Amino acid sequence: MMLLAGTVPLKDLPLTMGTVGLEDGFLLVDGLPIPCTQGTGAMVGAALAATGYLKLDPPQALVAGDTGQGGGSRAIYEYLIENVARLSPEVLTLHYCLPDMSLTRRVCEAIEKCPRRPVMIADAASMYAAKAAGLARAFDIFTPDATEIAFLADAEATHPAYIARHLFDTDIAQTPVLVDIAYESRSAAKVLLAKGSIDYVVVDGSIVATVTEPDVPALEAIGGTGDTITGLVSAFVYCGLELHEAAIIAARTNRTAGQLAQATPATKVREVVKYFPEVFKEHLCQWSGVCSIDPEG
Amino acid sequence: MDDYVEVPMASSQRKKTSFNGDGLVVFLDVKDALEAEKVLQRAGYAVRLVAPPPQLRKGCDLALEVNLTEKPGIERALEQKDIAYVEIVPMKAGTAELLQVVKLTDFGRWVMVKAGNMKLSFDKETGVIVNSSGGGCPDIPYLHAELVDKKLHDVRRPKDIGFTLCAVMMDRALEECLEVWRGGDRS
Repeated sequence: MMLLAGTVPLKDLPLTMGTVGLEDGFLLVDGLPIPCTQGTGAMVGAALAATGYLKLDPPQALVAGDTGQGGGSRAIYEYLIENVARLSPEVLTLHYCLPDMSLTRRVCEAIEKCPRRPVMIADAASMYAAKAAGLARAFDIFTPDATEIAFLADAEATHPAYIARHLFDTDIAQTPVLVDIAYESRSAAKVLLAKGSIDYVVVDGSIVATVTEPDVPALEAIGGTGDTITGLVSAFVYCGLELHEAAIIAARTNRTAGQLAQATPATKVREVVKYFPEVFKEHLCQWSGVCSIDPEG
Repeated sequence: MDDYVEVPMASSQRKKTSFNGDGLVVFLDVKDALEAEKVLQRAGYAVRLVAPPPQLRKGCDLALEVNLTEKPGIERALEQKDIAYVEIVPMKAGTAELLQVVKLTDFGRWVMVKAGNMKLSFDKETGVIVNSSGGGCPDIPYLHAELVDKKLHDVRRPKDIGFTLCAVMMDRALEECLEVWRGGDRS
């Protein structure tokens, strides 16, 4: 099972766990519609596009409505603490949640009880909480953007709003320096996909790949294009790719879909997501060696 | 795809004048800190949003730096407005300042303003917000839905309807967008 967990901006959506589907263009979790916009929805939508193409089981999603007050976030944390050992997912991705270091620590403790440790991926505020709580090394993949890399490199910061000015000012070309600092202070996961005009894929502190093409600068302005990368990485890991391969192919997929969508800062993320099947069809076999999946194994 | 420009640092970054107090108002929620800032500013107090020291942090925290000598008046002002706070304590080492720097990227027809981890883009001709990106707290997708496709002047401020530090940074980005829009700085 691939389990994707995060809040969605629907005030009244109760804690919901179930299979992700698509109906008339709407994303569904356990039959309930969620918006395919910036945040968990974009991540889930991207992962579903990949599992659909690869003929894998669709993602399972754990979602709850939360517009910032934290109730839905706490419900997700508590559900994972109680149930993750029983669910024992192969891939667990934590996404938009109110950062809470104490609850994140308890989630990580609960994961230790899984019969088989899941591949642990974190982005958005779940990554903030993991770093702030000193738990980054319990995670396999983080997918920070350029500012968030500076956050990981700032040992004192518990949220990107507090990173030191000199780190915020750092040019993207200096990302390798920030990566080094983040690993030295044990604030980075085993693998980092640092997103920016240059995407850096880092394994245990060593940059193993960069992705620069196609160059679509407008993607940075489009809300949700970081979230789609997280969903793609999750799906590619779930299909059996090595962590760094999953990261490289996710970055290429996102950029190529952005190019096909002729992305501008006014483009919406769903317009990028809709090009993923075309990108997979044209490139995935060549990029990954994964040309088809036999669902019977 | 290549016609974008990150405006040089000297002209794209503004740092606000900072106030240095010697006391700290500690809150349980970011929302309370934001409301307290408004109430105390209206009452004429010098205040500044900062991170509490590490031992008081949960993950998404905000405190108010104040002049400790004004503690009684501050307590009264907060109590009159029924704003919950934990305590008012002397400032200690370990507090951190909110990131004040903003960066502008010119995409031709659009400008993207980046404040900390939050980015807001608007159409230079119409003043319509076309996208928000970055961040990771649960109010950010909600604010995205609230702001996008509306005019800069017509939206409710993120710090009035959001609850987290990401919302505070998005508010900073909106403030800068408004400044660029009003100033006609559309280079």
